[in-house]
Amino acid sequence: MTNILKILLIEDDMIEIMKLNRTVSSLKLNHKIIEANNGEDALKILEKKEDLPDIILLDLNMPKINGIEFLSILKKDEVLKYIPTIILTTSSNQKDLLECYKIGIAGYVLKPLKYEEYVSKIEKLLAYWSINELKKI
Amino acid sequence: MSQEKIDILQRALDREKAARKQAESILEQKAAQLYETNQRLEKSYSELEMLLTKKDSQLQGVFENIVDAYLIMDLFGNILKMNDAALRLFGFENDKVDFNLMKMVSPNDYERVANSFKELLNDGVLTNFEIKITTNDNIEKLIHINASIIYDNGIAVAAQGIIRDITKNKEAEEKLIESENRLATLILNLDSGVVLEDENRKIILTNKKFTELFNIDASPTELIGMDCKEASEQNSVLFKNPDAFLSRMREIEHKKQTVLADELEMIDGKVLERNYMPIVIDQQSKGFLWTFKDITTNISYERTLKAEKQKYYNIISNINLGLLELDLDDKILMVNKSFAAMTGYSEKELIGVKGKELLPINDDRELMAEQAKNRKKGRTDSYELRINNKKGELRHWLISGAPNYDLEGKIIGSIGVNLDITEFKNLEIQKESLLKELEKSNNDLQEYAHIVSHDLKSPLRSINALFSWLKEDNASKLDGVSIQTIDLIEKTLEKMDQLITDILDYSSVGSDDGEKIEIHTNDLLIDLVKVLYIPEHISVEIASTLPIIFGHKTKLQQLFQNLISNSVKFIDKEKGIINIAAEDQGEYYQFSVHDNGMGIEKQFHDKIFKVFHSLKKSKDSSGIGLSIVQKIVELHQGKIWLESEPGIGTTFFFTLKK
Repeated sequence: MTNILKILLIEDDMIEIMKLNRTVSSLKLNHKIIEANNGEDALKILEKKEDLPDIILLDLNMPKINGIEFLSILKKDEVLKYIPTIILTTSSNQKDLLECYKIGIAGYVLKPLKYEEYVSKIEKLLAYWSINELKKI
Repeated sequence: MSQEKIDILQRALDREKAARKQAESILEQKAAQLYETNQRLEKSYSELEMLLTKKDSQLQGVFENIVDAYLIMDLFGNILKMNDAALRLFGFENDKVDFNLMKMVSPNDYERVANSFKELLNDGVLTNFEIKITTNDNIEKLIHINASIIYDNGIAVAAQGIIRDITKNKEAEEKLIESENRLATLILNLDSGVVLEDENRKIILTNKKFTELFNIDASPTELIGMDCKEASEQNSVLFKNPDAFLSRMREIEHKKQTVLADELEMIDGKVLERNYMPIVIDQQSKGFLWTFKDITTNISYERTLKAEKQKYYNIISNINLGLLELDLDDKILMVNKSFAAMTGYSEKELIGVKGKELLPINDDRELMAEQAKNRKKGRTDSYELRINNKKGELRHWLISGAPNYDLEGKIIGSIGVNLDITEFKNLEIQKESLLKELEKSNNDLQEYAHIVSHDLKSPLRSINALFSWLKEDNASKLDGVSIQTIDLIEKTLEKMDQLITDILDYSSVGSDDGEKIEIHTNDLLIDLVKVLYIPEHISVEIASTLPIIFGHKTKLQQLFQNLISNSVKFIDKEKGIINIAAEDQGEYYQFSVHDNGMGIEKQFHDKIFKVFHSLKKSKDSSGIGLSIVQKIVELHQGKIWLESEPGIGTTFFFTLKK
């Protein structure tokens, strides 16, 4: 049996948000997507401890608080640090990748150029996390 | 006969009678006197006899007790008597011998002995007769004889003599003569001119060198007795300053005190050293000794030495290195101009000061103390030191210190050579900071490239998604041409994305990707060929002898990948072959990647390595691949070039440092 996931997508690019939403709906998945345009918004959302997401998809290049900073804040939080966070980015910068794994991430997925490939990657990603046991709130 | 006549005769008779009577009484008187004299004579004779006996026994005592050998012989040379000293001298055991002295004389001397014996007989004495004898106990001796004849009633009856053994004396005398001769020869041939003069300035002794020095055309012996005063007045013309020569000589002669090392310059350029010494033995003046020595060469040697010294002194004082000499307490003994200039202190301010307390900055004092300790142990070292000059400015010095030894090899201090390296040091510091800055700016650039690439790629992804949705949402409405257009847009996006990826790769080649490691290029290529897309009509042959090199693994992978891909791309034959080989070239390994592709015309050989320069416009050629290859080769201190024949194939060569 697969879980229905509550996904927090932190992404400043409107089209990227559309891409994920469209992918989830086209795959006919029942996962719930919560959108945050930047780190600050995301932290506000995460303040509600009773309604935390199951996983977080995080873009690295964002205004204000960037992805890595956000990740650091998250991992320092006694509650939030248990939420698996997957990086979703176009940057293949090794330095970023190493830094992210060091702080603590659950995955690092590169956004492919082609939308079809994107759909395929997201499908696998969500399939994987929907069979994982996650922390109960 | 007449009375008268009788009377006359009577009277004459009487007179005759009276005269006889008187004569008789005189005779009687005389006889008594004679008797008396006779008595007296007899008495004195006995007295004399007594005296003689006394004298004889005295003589006998003398004879026996005489220290020198004493001997009496008859006139034929037979020994009559001798004392103990003579026994010893002649080698007899006792004097009861019957021996003729001539036996002791060598036959060669017979004539001489005979002559002197004649002399002895004639004169009664013989003095200072010397002769060699062979004694009774067979020892050769040289003896000295004083002899006299013994007479009996005016007739020579025997000879007596005092004999002395002068063998040793003679030897000593000979030695003395020999050493005197030696001394004379020595003086004669002495390297110094010598003149010994008496109180009246007459020459007692001089030598050859003296005549040479003063160009005197006479032998040293001919000069004996000559007046020095006159001679020196004549000789004064030989000197540069004759008056000074004479006045000084008079002064010396007047004072009669030892004078040493006066220098006299002669007109021929010679320089003489003059010494004057009164010779006094047992408080008696034995004359005055003048010695003259030609010191021209010494002087010129000394002058050369002085000039050399001055030269080195000039070098030392003007050299651009600070030099200083320290004693064992590290007090400054000497500094050169440069050292003073380097410190800003004057020479006066530095001498006697402990350099280590004056100059180094606080942080470096310990370092300097340590170095000073090492120097005293005889170690030489150089090190950097920071000092404050008089103005308080910080200067960097490079110091090289070495122990200073005296002639016996004892450490007496140290010598320091100091170079102000502040400028270099500043450059070094500047270089370091520049390097840091460069590294930072490189990193910044790297970051920037990533950000730019991200920012450029993101819109491409969006465009791709949007077109894909457009196609999807309007699948039924779009005609073939529109769909084809959208496909072209998508292909262009792909190309653009690849371009951005390549640019990012190219800019990343120089970035530090960890340490160089040992890489088995053979294994690396086998693995690479497995993952690369190689069309079926192309075979890749890898030589089994590829070396192990030291390098960055991912970069070398990229290098081979780009070259192989490049070859694959340009193979236009039905059956493609790619050959990879390598050979050892000493310091380098030379690799070659050969293909049987379309080849590259000579004029493009250089251009193909330039960024964005692609010979063949194709969707999968950005023109960056070979630029990356070149950059990687250069990163491994190698070179890359190619040989190619259009239509036949291309070989890329590159070297990698071992």
